[in-house]
Amino acid sequence: MRPAVTQTAALARRSVVGTLRTPQALVPSLFFPLVLMAIFTGSFGNAPGTIPGFPEVRGFLDFALAGAVLQGILIGGTSAGAAFALDIEGGFFDRLVASPVARTAILVGRLAGGVVIAMAQTLFFVAVGVAFGARIEGGLAGLAVLLVLAAFLSVAVSGLGVVLALRTGSAEAVQGTFPLFFALLFFSSAFFPRETMTGWFKAVADVNPISYLVEAMRDQIVTGVEPRSTLIGLAVVIGMAAAALGGSFLAFRSRLRSAL
Amino acid sequence: MPRDRAVEAEGLERVFKGGIRAVDGVDLAVDAGEVFGFLGPNGAGKSTTVRMLATLLRPTGGRARVAGHDLVGDPSAVRRSIGVALQDAAIDPYMTGRELLHLQAVLHGFDRAHGRARAVELLERVDLVAAADRRVGTYSGGMRRRLDLALALVHEPEVLFLDEPTTGLDPISRLTLWDEVRRLNTELGTTVFLTTQYLEEADQLAGRVAIIDGGRIVAEGTPAALKAEVGDPTLRITLADPAAHEAGARALAAFGEALPPERSGALAVRLPGGAQSLPGVVRALDEAGVVAAELDLAMPSLDDVFVARTGRRLEAADGAGEPAAAPAPA
Repeated sequence: MRPAVTQTAALARRSVVGTLRTPQALVPSLFFPLVLMAIFTGSFGNAPGTIPGFPEVRGFLDFALAGAVLQGILIGGTSAGAAFALDIEGGFFDRLVASPVARTAILVGRLAGGVVIAMAQTLFFVAVGVAFGARIEGGLAGLAVLLVLAAFLSVAVSGLGVVLALRTGSAEAVQGTFPLFFALLFFSSAFFPRETMTGWFKAVADVNPISYLVEAMRDQIVTGVEPRSTLIGLAVVIGMAAAALGGSFLAFRSRLRSAL
Repeated sequence: MPRDRAVEAEGLERVFKGGIRAVDGVDLAVDAGEVFGFLGPNGAGKSTTVRMLATLLRPTGGRARVAGHDLVGDPSAVRRSIGVALQDAAIDPYMTGRELLHLQAVLHGFDRAHGRARAVELLERVDLVAAADRRVGTYSGGMRRRLDLALALVHEPEVLFLDEPTTGLDPISRLTLWDEVRRLNTELGTTVFLTTQYLEEADQLAGRVAIIDGGRIVAEGTPAALKAEVGDPTLRITLADPAAHEAGARALAAFGEALPPERSGALAVRLPGGAQSLPGVVRALDEAGVVAAELDLAMPSLDDVFVARTGRRLEAADGAGEPAAAPAPA
């Protein structure tokens, strides 16, 4: 058991180091969400209080922060999946498989590395938000919940990337899922409240699991730890993570079946 | 006790989807401590065979033992006994050589201190101490291959698989890598199973070679024995005085069958005795008063063996010849 843990930690560390040293993977996941957050906050700064139905909130920045966290993890998680595909494309995966490394460490190491990055990203966005005047109503408990949600979301997103990586062996295929995630993000309540939406758009956002996840995140910031939304958000994200994790283990097993 | 076999295969076979028989019943017997060359053109089944022996690909038929462990029955034991440096090895460009060696050591169950010490040892062995803390992305092709070799050696494997270790390298880097392979074979006694499409490489490094073509072994033996099978060495003599032609031919008649010379003023003879007959040849020419301006003893090459067995030249068989340059650093 212990060697498997050490090996997982070593491989997780490698993926964290790899991410930190590839600015082209790291910068977009930090920069784009901030830009979007700045644009929305500038454009809709007085939406709270003037748009009927907009929920009560201290400022639009507090409202937009959760969307940035979510977006950052979608980008970062996709990169983690793509990095796994690059390992397969390039042969590092073969090197691991031909060594006596615990098989699970190969998969879990990559996902765990993604989780570490996702939590660090979340802290980064919260720090920037707070520096510009946002307040985390949930306090430390709220922040902890935010981190847990971020961790599970990272497993869900990078896990899906890992499934595709194992099935196709192509980093491009993994990167190709990004527009899908982006659509999920925009057709959700990530940037605007469901209260101000109408018609089919609202209908889509109502069934989009991302809406419930982002609302759970947002409540930690805007209203404090809210048991109902927190539980719904946790249930949604744990479900997504479990599905992705199960899928990646199946894909991993079937890929290894062609080996010994 | 019989001599240990490092690699043993019987009827090893891999059929891919669509019925392509990439490896079609390969028998191999590599003794412990040998450098074994596995020679063949691109697509002959070299890499597929190595991937199977390295537990990366499940054979569809036959059986094999590596370092005494059954390939299919106990792949984990095989993995603990082998080092693998695969073709175009991907090495993380953003990690340093030292970090990668250390990671590899931890993955093999070394503790941190032991892993660090081992990394230093191996960096010295492959002469990468100065570049140890640079990112691999800045390494030349030759440096990467040496690092790749070091990575495969971390756990002191009994059997080392090298898949085309010098493809794409410049001649100097190739020589350096050859020295490295020789050294670890003689100093550590590591069995080396080496695939290559370069005749010279097999000739230089391997004690024994097998030639594979179309998934089947077409020849096997020591390079010398295989060449001997193809024919005797040829001695070509350029005469200082073309008029001495007849006297020269008479002097040489005792050593072997005369061959048609390529130009006037030259002599050619098949020389079954090879280099060992040379002193006698020189003495006989001297006694006959014939002065040779040039002596050239041409040994048959492994290429001649390949031609004899397949009817094609090895270097031409893949239609690509030597790659022009090392792959660019990623």
